Amino acid sequence: MTTPPIIEVTGLKNQLGDFWVHTNVNLSINQGDVVAIIGGSGSGKTTLLKSLLMLLKPTDGCVKLFDEDIYALSPKALRQLRKRFGVLFQHSALFSSLNVLENVMFPMREFTHLPEHFMKELALLKINLVGLPAHAAYQYPSELSGGMQRRAAAARAIAMDPDILFLDEPTTGLDPRSARRFDELIIFLHQTLKLTIVLISHDLESLKTVPTKIAFIGEGEVLACEPYETLINNPHPMIKEYFHGGD
Amino acid sequence: MSKAANCVFNPEKNTIDCHGTWSILNTQALFSQFKNLNLPQEKVVTLNGQQIDYLDSAAALMLIDQVSHYEKKGIPIKLTGFSANHKALLNLVKSKKISPQTVQMSPTPPLLYRVGVESVNKLKQIDGFTKLLGELFLTFLLAFRRVKRFQGASILANIDTAGLKALPILALLSFLIGVVLAYQMGIQLQTYGANIFIAYLSGLAIFREFAPLITAIIVAGRTSSAFTAQIGSMQINEEIDALLTMGISPVQRLVMPKVLGLLIVFPLLIFWADIFSLMGAMFMSKWMLSVSYYDFLMRLKESVGLKQLMLGIYKAPTFAIVIALVGCFQGFRVEANADSIGSQTTKSVVQALFLIIIVDAWYSIIYSWMNL
Repeated sequence: MTTPPIIEVTGLKNQLGDFWVHTNVNLSINQGDVVAIIGGSGSGKTTLLKSLLMLLKPTDGCVKLFDEDIYALSPKALRQLRKRFGVLFQHSALFSSLNVLENVMFPMREFTHLPEHFMKELALLKINLVGLPAHAAYQYPSELSGGMQRRAAAARAIAMDPDILFLDEPTTGLDPRSARRFDELIIFLHQTLKLTIVLISHDLESLKTVPTKIAFIGEGEVLACEPYETLINNPHPMIKEYFHGGD
Repeated sequence: MSKAANCVFNPEKNTIDCHGTWSILNTQALFSQFKNLNLPQEKVVTLNGQQIDYLDSAAALMLIDQVSHYEKKGIPIKLTGFSANHKALLNLVKSKKISPQTVQMSPTPPLLYRVGVESVNKLKQIDGFTKLLGELFLTFLLAFRRVKRFQGASILANIDTAGLKALPILALLSFLIGVVLAYQMGIQLQTYGANIFIAYLSGLAIFREFAPLITAIIVAGRTSSAFTAQIGSMQINEEIDALLTMGISPVQRLVMPKVLGLLIVFPLLIFWADIFSLMGAMFMSKWMLSVSYYDFLMRLKESVGLKQLMLGIYKAPTFAIVIALVGCFQGFRVEANADSIGSQTTKSVVQALFLIIIVDAWYSIIYSWMNL
């Protein structure tokens, strides 16, 4: 028997106001995949992510994480489940009143009873893993550059050693060099920590190198889910327009 | 996932057998198990990781820490049997770990240094406040060239939020203050049989001090904080910068309508507080001292008069400017973090109240010079 996919979305429908964002989204992601979700603006990428993160209850459909239907779980089981994924938000969403070290230690403090010095050591390890200099640990988010903030947020996202890492436009707003270096970080984390990664991205350069599969959303459903090389030659008109312009 | 993790020392084979899910949630339990292992001295112990079915970086770090901890005690531990993945993770953690001792927070500067920084900070605040006052005055004069710059609609909106919506709470509190005041004085007056003097005493106190101060306190609490929060969030959103790049003065656009609105509505609020405080005092006088409403009002007119009422209302413009300016000034000082709005809002209310009491004291001094 093969292992069930780590994320499975079947028949997802989402209605926002009078507008159907998703009509029939089907997506399955296996352990160890790096999947990018792309699509034109307004196609419902962020809404899909919110449905996966249990921030927005879908109108209809089934979302399974770790082979469990997340909208049928008890609140207690949900809390357990939430510890198994980390999220990096578009604008980093670091707590501005805490320094980087405290930000990374925040989820550990909430969920574990580890001794303080060990938490500190673990947080410093994460900070080092994401490529931040050690002295940044005691700096506040407002004192860091955009790229460093993104890295600090990544450190917080992997603080609890999640199995899945969600990234919402991780390279948007970074200069090309920082963006490429952040791509390298994502690949590094994927390879070393064996993370399953779901990312939303508009960055064509990242799409070429980071994901193993790309899910293209349009017309309320997943139009294609395949590697970059085959996706760019996909004959669907919407996908063609996305990659090659209006020709 | 919620399966337990454990490690047990096997004295016969001299090995530590490890099982289960070595995750961050089980790390605490593993810590105490390691502590109670009772390892023999001066002998190489083998740790067998074959049965570990899940290992994350927290548990890996813990394992590495424990191994070096025992090594220091003279008990070397050899790790064997780990899967390739787990071995890679252990190596990664070993190479990337930093000891917390090597990263220190920058030391707190000496006391004298902090006193100096804080003093300069305070001086800069005074400087900034003065500049804001000056810019406001200049903007006000320039606005006469084009009446539209006074922002009539914005002024009206400020009158509504700072004035009209404060009326119920102001009425209630003023009434209560009037009642309390008359009660306290009434006890003294009753013993001398000088009941009718209640009108003079409470009237004077209300007109000159209580009504203006109560009004100022409520407006400072409601409005000064609101101004700070509004301008502060605009500052964080870079809306202030947007105004500046369009060549529009934030002082003209944001500060002046607030100051003018408060200037217009403040005397009216004081008058409103006067009325309700007097009603409270009258009610208490009748109830406790049997001074009829008519007698109270007649005595008030003869012995206190309009002049005392006006002396209280003259305080309005200064109070209004102080409250509005402090609120706006602290708003502009908000920095881009979530704590900042909160602390600046607190500062704006505290400073506004502080300055109001100072200003009130000045008024008393000036009035006594002028023999009023």
